[in-house]
Amino acid sequence: MSADITMPQLSDTMTEGTLVKWLKKEGDKISSGETIAEIETDKAVMEMEVFDAGVVAALVIAEGQKASVGSLLAVIATGSENPAEVKKKVASRSQPSGTSSAAPAPVSRQEVAASRKPALSAASSAPTFTQASKGEIREPDNVGHGATREQAVAVPPLPHEGNGGRRLHVSPLARRIAQQRNIDLYSLSGSGPGGRIIREDVLKAHTAPPPATATNTPGPIGGGKTESIPLTKMRSAIARSLQASKQNIPHFYETIDVDVEDLVKLRAKLNEILDPEKIRLSIGDFISKAVASALLHHPALNATFNGTEVTRYGDVNLGIAVSIPDGLIVPVLRNIHLMGLKEIRQRSIDLVDRARAQRLKQDEMTGGTFTVSNLGTFGIREFSAIINPPQVAILAIAAAEKRAVVRGDQIVARTMMTLTLSADHRIVDGATAADFLKTLKTLLEQPGMMLM
Amino acid sequence: MPVIQFREALRAAMTEEMERDENVFLMGEEVAEYNGAYKVSEGMLEKFGPRRIFDTPISEAGFSGLGVGAACCGLRPIIEFMSWSFTLVCLDQLVNNAANVRYMSGGQFKIPVVFRGGNGIAHQLGATHSHRMESVFARVPGLVVVAPSTPYDAKGLLKTSIRCDDPIIFLESEKMLAEKGEVPSEEYLLPIGKAAVEREGADVTVVSYGRPLQRVVRPAVEHLHSDHGIDVELIDLRTLRPLDVETIARSVGKTNRCVIIDEDWGYCGMGSGILYKIQKRCFDDLDAPIEYVHSDEIPVPFSHPLEEAMLPSVDRIVSAVKEACYR
Repeated sequence: MSADITMPQLSDTMTEGTLVKWLKKEGDKISSGETIAEIETDKAVMEMEVFDAGVVAALVIAEGQKASVGSLLAVIATGSENPAEVKKKVASRSQPSGTSSAAPAPVSRQEVAASRKPALSAASSAPTFTQASKGEIREPDNVGHGATREQAVAVPPLPHEGNGGRRLHVSPLARRIAQQRNIDLYSLSGSGPGGRIIREDVLKAHTAPPPATATNTPGPIGGGKTESIPLTKMRSAIARSLQASKQNIPHFYETIDVDVEDLVKLRAKLNEILDPEKIRLSIGDFISKAVASALLHHPALNATFNGTEVTRYGDVNLGIAVSIPDGLIVPVLRNIHLMGLKEIRQRSIDLVDRARAQRLKQDEMTGGTFTVSNLGTFGIREFSAIINPPQVAILAIAAAEKRAVVRGDQIVARTMMTLTLSADHRIVDGATAADFLKTLKTLLEQPGMMLM
Repeated sequence: MPVIQFREALRAAMTEEMERDENVFLMGEEVAEYNGAYKVSEGMLEKFGPRRIFDTPISEAGFSGLGVGAACCGLRPIIEFMSWSFTLVCLDQLVNNAANVRYMSGGQFKIPVVFRGGNGIAHQLGATHSHRMESVFARVPGLVVVAPSTPYDAKGLLKTSIRCDDPIIFLESEKMLAEKGEVPSEEYLLPIGKAAVEREGADVTVVSYGRPLQRVVRPAVEHLHSDHGIDVELIDLRTLRPLDVETIARSVGKTNRCVIIDEDWGYCGMGSGILYKIQKRCFDDLDAPIEYVHSDEIPVPFSHPLEEAMLPSVDRIVSAVKEACYR
């Protein structure tokens, strides 16, 4: 059987992707795990690997062309098939609607994986099929990157991507109406059984008044230049997902001041030692480390919520918000709880650099269990962040600065920092969040505790 | 317009067709001397004589085979079964012979026969005499299955059935025979394969046929309208094979919801088959899964309260319809 290679859904919000570059030509041999193409999503350029070995029989779309999720990109002749014959058959198939502008029904990540179509992953951890005991072929679980295989066995499955880690449930009629009216189903919440999106939900979304119209925007005043800027794909993806988060999740916020005087001293000392290796730990690295330790003690916050069920994780995959030109991306540092400060630093730098270069792999953008957002370098004193669903909390890290604080009855100058936790009140109680912050404060004020 | 009983409508149809065509005759258990076990054929022996109205021994396999043979030879038999449950002993004649002879003879023999009688649960007849046989026959290519629910439909459809050149499975109910309805005195025929939109509505399509319409579906529809504000579009299928998918699909296209109701067992029941036929056509129109209200999957109890309890009730229908409407 020839194998179809289709456009995978590489992020929650992706409905189409651009084929940036074919790395194989028709007639090339390809083996399982090899990269066939580079795909640009709304957020990044990623490499696409294939599972099927054989000969590339047909490349269906050209470089630079867009294709909707699930539409055919290429066909591989497998086994003893004649690539020329396969290509002929491909040509005789009815033209898939994929390259049209109509958005297709979103395909969940699970479906993509289940159909044994190409998988996106880091080259070092290319998924392989493992033989299960009853002779069935299983896909590898999406676990354990960076950790050893033994550890991976005990690890609960990471959250799937997609809407809250599950398939979006939409009635066929609602799906059709949404498609006709160009409404993003992921921006809706379903009122039907099990959160199913039904006609009423789509119609409500459709009748919601548009936020701003041309009639109420002020005309040009004075000589200043007015310009309208169409949203980039990334910007609209961000707009959509942040709006959905803020609309659907009842956020609450807790703020705590942390005395990081000792931590700053420790950091200076460690950086002196690490100087020959050209490694400079940041305060953010310490916070990442402390957050990971604190989350292990407070699994209620190291969790995802899909609307009906909370999943708590025994590992910490920390999302780190990174600003990039006109946008924001959240690479995920997997299994950060197993890492020392040095490794956290090195991996963070690598992730951030590649995030800015839009060169992240699929599994480096997904599967987060908690997120941190750090505006310390901008001198921000305090801020709050919007939760990154399906996660249930996010920590906003502000600048460390000298402040006048009261110690005993004396006013003294100490290096202080303000942390604000945003949490999903559906799942997390105020006291639970406060407990977590207390642990985090202890770890940061007495960094030695992180060794415990 | 005269108001007559369901049984009178059946009798009128048979009488008119026998007057019209001398090849039409009626046979079955007790149809002649006793005037019919349920008095459907009352007076017909007197009118047409023993050559065309005659009693058979208690042997369904025998007289249904006789009917298939007679039809092969150019006659147009009407065969009355006292109960469709009894056809379990003559499925070979109905399924193998009646349904297939025309096909297997390359069209040399037509089988213009009507098998008719009471089908389904009819008040304390016990497990073996309460079978709902529609799904058994409606799945067989070569058969036509008709299931009227009103005297008007019964007369018009039986007349068309008698004139049809293919074997007809005509499903009545002992419990419907006394039902009254308007039936015109002038002649009319109704087409086979056409469902009737019995009540137009905007909110949900309810599909049913035969006895349950009279017993629970119509009362439930009224109840849904008056007490729950749900406006049901009610479809009486009238023919189960061939199924009028077009009428159902048009209605579901309007209401976006569908509830099927019958008294069959659910698994492989008539409603399951209807569901199979319509789900693909209607998929993009559906805002909710199609609901199917059917009898409990148990042998039919003799006890009256238990029999009632296993059957679709007004309450069950109301809650299924509400579920389909997300109410």
